[in-house]
Amino acid sequence: MTLHFTPVWFIAVPLLLAFLSPLWVRLRLLMPILLGAHVALFALALSWIPTVRVAPLLETIVIAPPLGIHLHLDAVSLLLVALFNLAGALVASFIWLSNRESHPFNAAQDRLFDSAQDRLRGRPAFILILLLIAGSSGMVLTGDLFNLYVFLEIAGVSAYALTALRRDKSALEAGLKYLIIGSVAAIFFLFAIVLLYLQTGQLNMAALARDFAGIPAPMQALIGLLMLIGLGIKAELFPFNFWVPDIYRGSDPEITALFSGVLVKAFLFVLFHLVFLLLADPTVARTWLMALGATTMLVAEAVALRQQDLRRMLAYSSLGQVGLITLALGFASEATTAGALFHMVNHTLIKLLLFLLTALMLRRFLSVRLANLQGLGRAMPLAAGLFVLGALAVLGLPPLSGFASKLWILKGFAEARVFWPIALILLAALLEAGYYFRWIKVFYAPEPPVTAGQPEGDWAYAPLLLIAGLLILLGVAPFLLEDWFVQAAKALLGRGAILESVLGVQP
Amino acid sequence: MLEFLDSPRVLHGIYLLGSLMLFFIGLYGLLAKRHLLKIFVSIEIMELAVYLILIALATSPGETAPILSDGLLTFTGMADPIPQALTLTAIVIGVAVTALGTSMAIQYHRLTGHVGVDAMTELKD
Repeated sequence: MTLHFTPVWFIAVPLLLAFLSPLWVRLRLLMPILLGAHVALFALALSWIPTVRVAPLLETIVIAPPLGIHLHLDAVSLLLVALFNLAGALVASFIWLSNRESHPFNAAQDRLFDSAQDRLRGRPAFILILLLIAGSSGMVLTGDLFNLYVFLEIAGVSAYALTALRRDKSALEAGLKYLIIGSVAAIFFLFAIVLLYLQTGQLNMAALARDFAGIPAPMQALIGLLMLIGLGIKAELFPFNFWVPDIYRGSDPEITALFSGVLVKAFLFVLFHLVFLLLADPTVARTWLMALGATTMLVAEAVALRQQDLRRMLAYSSLGQVGLITLALGFASEATTAGALFHMVNHTLIKLLLFLLTALMLRRFLSVRLANLQGLGRAMPLAAGLFVLGALAVLGLPPLSGFASKLWILKGFAEARVFWPIALILLAALLEAGYYFRWIKVFYAPEPPVTAGQPEGDWAYAPLLLIAGLLILLGVAPFLLEDWFVQAAKALLGRGAILESVLGVQP
Repeated sequence: MLEFLDSPRVLHGIYLLGSLMLFFIGLYGLLAKRHLLKIFVSIEIMELAVYLILIALATSPGETAPILSDGLLTFTGMADPIPQALTLTAIVIGVAVTALGTSMAIQYHRLTGHVGVDAMTELKD
């Protein structure tokens, strides 16, 4: 019997492993399975690069599209699925390798699992992380609008539950806020899907793209608005992102790393995938999306300047980067899109690094407020060094990957002779430098550190050093992946190619 | 005298109006109420309004369920089954989310004694 590899594996394998969790608990295999699944799927994704380069892979389930449902694996969805599984593997290995010393911060409230590490190694976290990755991969892969809604809810529900995993006051508060705002977003998105179905009688995205132009203009605007509200909340764009810092502050930093690294990227992709598919001419929405991205970026970077909690600061920094990616994707030229996809990868890696470092700092100092982290550089020299590296990568300094991706985006704008985004991006980088160096200055303050928690084992740094290595590698040699990003940008913008491959007709 | 109600246009108009009213009642509750359970009820009302729009506008009066039985041998005059399948799926998802939310609200209440979103200030600076 030969194993037949299809894109369904990216969704089916994590789901199956999650539902078989009682077996893994009995065999004491939770952590190896969690890490192994993501590593295996990452390898599987890499093995598909040559195939997808030739033509997108269509996995039909039961009936052929447009009637049936199908998964659509092209260069851009492959890139994101690979990225999600890499992020899952890195977080899983970090959780596995951190030491098992107790975490007195939460011990009082939580009798079920007595430390952060035990809780994250427990069965609920195992199931929820797998479901989160499965939902995100599904959102990226599916070619059907209602399936998209289902995957959006799978990812959403697991994210709400992961947020509240600690079950103390702040975690429950964050979880409840996330659940309320997330389900409202899902309702708006569902409303848009319902209107689209009533107008066209289609749910297949390619068929919808073909028929969308036939919908009356006011209805098009209403559908667009509902989708923008729904996905804008989920993708953390400006007027709808007031809730983000609270959620990032309340959940465990390891989990927040997944939100910032995986979930937001999936929703950003969904938003732009729909925009580029449904609108025959994406320049209609260009001004709006770019304005949205630019405001998200500037507002978030400005607010980040005066944050007192590291997690809130990183949340605003993450929002700023999301704004930058939106700005570049919204312009919809090939160079900026490729640059934005590269920046998406970079931002995932950087935020994983920074949030996992935050987890280490939180365990050692029991607080990540600015005032309590004085002299951290002396207590945790490696962590402080890696934080500086991550900060420099966010700013986009030359030897690191942030430089390569930002340069690509800026070059794209310069080639198109549009200069205001360049000015704004540079201004945002200046603001970023302001607040990152404020923290770094505190880390290296000449004062004795006040540590209360246990020191970490050296193994916890292994995944972080791997991320740091990747950041430097991508910065020194961006040409390794350049071709893939260009392919991915073409796939994301190539509306005609998608219609042709799914429906078999030229639009 | 009331035959005009049977014409699909009028009927769909009435359904749409009613569903939209429900939707805005839910939206009002979401924005104006502070009690966690009331917020969940409001979210549910909004969700139901969206399901109603889908079901009501996709069926016209006189259409039957899309099942071949009792002498019905062809698919004529039958309602579109897709909206109903979608609504069933969406209802299941909605129940799951609400159940999770309610259980979190109960735990929050046990831990803090609060039931409102007003008291949620733990995460601010």
